[in-house]
Amino acid sequence: MSVSMSCPWNRASTSLLTLLLMVGPMYPASANDSLDTLDTLQVHGFLSQALVITDENNFFGPSSQDGGSLQFTEIGANVSLRPHRNVLLAAQVLSRRAGGELSDMRPKLDHGVVDYQAFADSTTRLGTQIGRFKNPFGFYNQTRDIAFTRPSILLPQSIYFDRTRSLGLAADGMAIYGEKRLPVGTFRAQIGAGKPQVGDDVARALMLDSRPGELDSDTSFIGQLLYEHGGGRFTAALSAADVNATFQSHQAAWDGGKLRFQPWILSLQYDEERWSLTAEYALRHISLSDFALPGVNFDTTGESWYLQYTRRFHRDWQWLLRYDVLVNDRDDRSGRRFEASGAGPAHSRFARDLTLGLRWYVHPRLLLATEYHYVEGTGWLPSQDNPDSDTQKYWNMLLFQASWRF
Amino acid sequence: MTARGHPWTVFAILVSVWLVTLPRLAGASESDLLLVVHPSVQTPSISRDTARAIFAMRQRTWPNGQAIHVVVLPNRYPMHERFTKELLGVYPHQLQLSWDRLVFSGTGQAPEQVETPDDMLERIATTPGAVGYIERGYLDERVHVLPME
Repeated sequence: MSVSMSCPWNRASTSLLTLLLMVGPMYPASANDSLDTLDTLQVHGFLSQALVITDENNFFGPSSQDGGSLQFTEIGANVSLRPHRNVLLAAQVLSRRAGGELSDMRPKLDHGVVDYQAFADSTTRLGTQIGRFKNPFGFYNQTRDIAFTRPSILLPQSIYFDRTRSLGLAADGMAIYGEKRLPVGTFRAQIGAGKPQVGDDVARALMLDSRPGELDSDTSFIGQLLYEHGGGRFTAALSAADVNATFQSHQAAWDGGKLRFQPWILSLQYDEERWSLTAEYALRHISLSDFALPGVNFDTTGESWYLQYTRRFHRDWQWLLRYDVLVNDRDDRSGRRFEASGAGPAHSRFARDLTLGLRWYVHPRLLLATEYHYVEGTGWLPSQDNPDSDTQKYWNMLLFQASWRF
Repeated sequence: MTARGHPWTVFAILVSVWLVTLPRLAGASESDLLLVVHPSVQTPSISRDTARAIFAMRQRTWPNGQAIHVVVLPNRYPMHERFTKELLGVYPHQLQLSWDRLVFSGTGQAPEQVETPDDMLERIATTPGAVGYIERGYLDERVHVLPME
């Protein structure tokens, strides 16, 4: 880990503080303002701990050894405030470990924004977010680390995989959002430009971690268009992103290489009182180019989809059934060409995951969950948990999780 | 279970489950629940869509620019469930998820939660811009009724 990466919280908090100090005085809470600013202060948080048990392969720590792995922990807290009726200040700190090192728990600024709602009438809303904003990507990305907002302990890994998660989390820049309510339904759009965080996970997934240099993010773009009918009974969304980074190195042979990640996701959901059916389909175009050394550059399109049924069979109980498929390269779905090239086993290029889950809301603040995964392939298995790449094609996983929030 | 068998087996199961649980459309029922606001709120009436956006915490201001302060009862309170279904046409779990997504992504805030209908009235009566709901029988002169179109 480089020095600049080791203190993201300090850098981020400094810039957020600067932003707040700049914006704060612009909107003094006047005496005749109908809302008292301190009355609008809200603090929320969450804490989740999971136990991961696998028969083969490791997921989020040494899950296949002894009694499993307890190295999946998520802790977060946020604060929000409305200093003016059209302004929202919000920031969240996240401490998370999913396998890896204990030092991964170091708190990071998850988001920190000044949200200004520039226009609102009875059917329209327009505004902007400046700072570190969460990327609206598919149904779950913006709150992917909060167990209460997920349908299961693990989000469908074909789309919300962990191995390059830092790329998609949030961006430092500016986003514009809009909402229009029409008789046929509600339309929501968000478009943002900014610098994503490129963590060690990305370099590792691209096998650049052992190379001389590091990936630096460039200006990237993200957008989502969402349609909601019947107050959320039916929802459809299309998300797209263009994420860019450059490999910086002292060695000419490595310097200036480009990473480009262009995913598209189509999301559909039908949500009833007692059940919901959700499907998402993603095409993920990823390429490395401009590296002087041949053999480093590549250009592939991956494909992901899942179909998920959740049933609320009691006020506080819910079960889930999901089938989730990942293909790393559409031109080599079985991974046979990959294996023939000597790069690794064919089963590391795809994954098919059948999941059965159960959740119990013991109390509005306490959630207990368990789920079972039958997986064929290791396409989304984090390589940091399985460094010697001696993985098994068929494996089973059992998870338990307790989550608390306030 | 073989790898090839997966998609179709799952698909068949899901389709059967879906057919069995197809929703039965309920007829509109006359509700004794009312939207109530602090007397400072100038809006003469609102549409169901706007009410939904307000209680989903997506609409932050009244049409005249005044800040909205949303007050709700706990999810498990029968009056809250009736309110979401009868007046807004959504389910409590949908509202809760909407709040959670706003709160934990930095795009909004949660509504204020009170424990009883009396607390609800008290809070609305004393908070400029406040909106909530109440059964007709609880209504008193400290709050105004906001008709829904």
